[in-house]
Amino acid sequence: MSEDIESNPFVDVSVFLFFEDIADKQGVEGFTNYMVSQAESLAMSVPEEEYDTWEDFANAVVAGESVFSSFENIKQISKYGFVTEECPFSKAISEYIKRLGTMNSVHDEAKDHYNHTIQPSAAHSGCMMHQTYRQEVAKRIKIGGKPLNYAQIASKAYAGNVVTPPESWKKVLLEKAGISETQGFMEMRENACLFALYMDE
Amino acid sequence: MMDIALYSLVDDMVSKSGTEGVVEYWLRVGESYAERMGKEAYVGWPAFNVAMKEGRTSLTVEGAVNVLTDLAITDKDGDVIGYVYALKTCPVAPTMSRFIKKIGPIHDSDNDVAENYNSRIRDSAVSNYCITHQKFREVAANNITVSKQGLECLHLANKGRLGDVKMVKENLDRINVDERHIKSILRSASCVFALIVKGKSAGDEED
Repeated sequence: MSEDIESNPFVDVSVFLFFEDIADKQGVEGFTNYMVSQAESLAMSVPEEEYDTWEDFANAVVAGESVFSSFENIKQISKYGFVTEECPFSKAISEYIKRLGTMNSVHDEAKDHYNHTIQPSAAHSGCMMHQTYRQEVAKRIKIGGKPLNYAQIASKAYAGNVVTPPESWKKVLLEKAGISETQGFMEMRENACLFALYMDE
Repeated sequence: MMDIALYSLVDDMVSKSGTEGVVEYWLRVGESYAERMGKEAYVGWPAFNVAMKEGRTSLTVEGAVNVLTDLAITDKDGDVIGYVYALKTCPVAPTMSRFIKKIGPIHDSDNDVAENYNSRIRDSAVSNYCITHQKFREVAANNITVSKQGLECLHLANKGRLGDVKMVKENLDRINVDERHIKSILRSASCVFALIVKGKSAGDEED
């Protein structure tokens, strides 16, 4: 298990409000930039890792022992295909909705801004932080001396909509993960996130 | 994961907006959080204190609170004008523990932001998160009425992760409670505050 110490939702909700306040002052672009840059800073703070083999790395990820799985429980579905069962932001989002009502629309606007300017892979504003963290933390992991690569394939928002990359990318990414599109959709019924982790040949 | 973002976000923001800018952001967050929780009305102190014990008020979204009914605050005629409450666990304590375990030491910016608040606004923050938390309580209390009288939150004392304690003497004086008593409450709590009828003080003449 990765999240063995439960956060207090009071803090989770206030961090969402912090980002909303940034958006008030600096617009959607400021919101997006802050979320991305704080995820980069977070990833830069974690220790580097090295593994002898791919199996050693994959086992550590699934066991929650790698920095890659510090904030989520990850399952391996193929050699290079991985899923996250529960979005690490789901509790914070449901507490926000329970306490304050509907999410501020700026989260959707920031997500759209990210999808248009950085990469089309976010289903919610939290995905911007999560995917940037994964991208940056992968750079700190080496397996048999080779760097780890990460590519997002699908993300599911709290409202149920699934975001996938454009068709041309999706085909390549699914091949990289070693799963078919149908398998990918099947995985997204049960999981929040589907991604590939791989090394350069 | 959202809560963990707090530390890297604050660190990042200090480099862009300075410690003073982060204090202002946190104050606005505390205010808007409390405003969005809405208003509450209770018929009397017993009803309000039961709601506090059961975690049904906007104030108890921060976590479990000990309602110290032995510490009733009274006016000159002995009428109850408020009570003292103790928050058992600081809401940011689990986040700090997880950050230290998964990422590393808490950034210096946490303390820098708290110190900026302590020197400019009120000497009552033991971490940067106290700024938004204390503001939240003050605004949330203003949105609650007990027996049709508005409430006011007086922050009394809090304890940091490493045991450092902050006391707000002017608030202790206002409710006439000895600071040694509050320190003893802090042995098993992280934060102590009073909720009283707005504008009142212990020993006041009745209106």
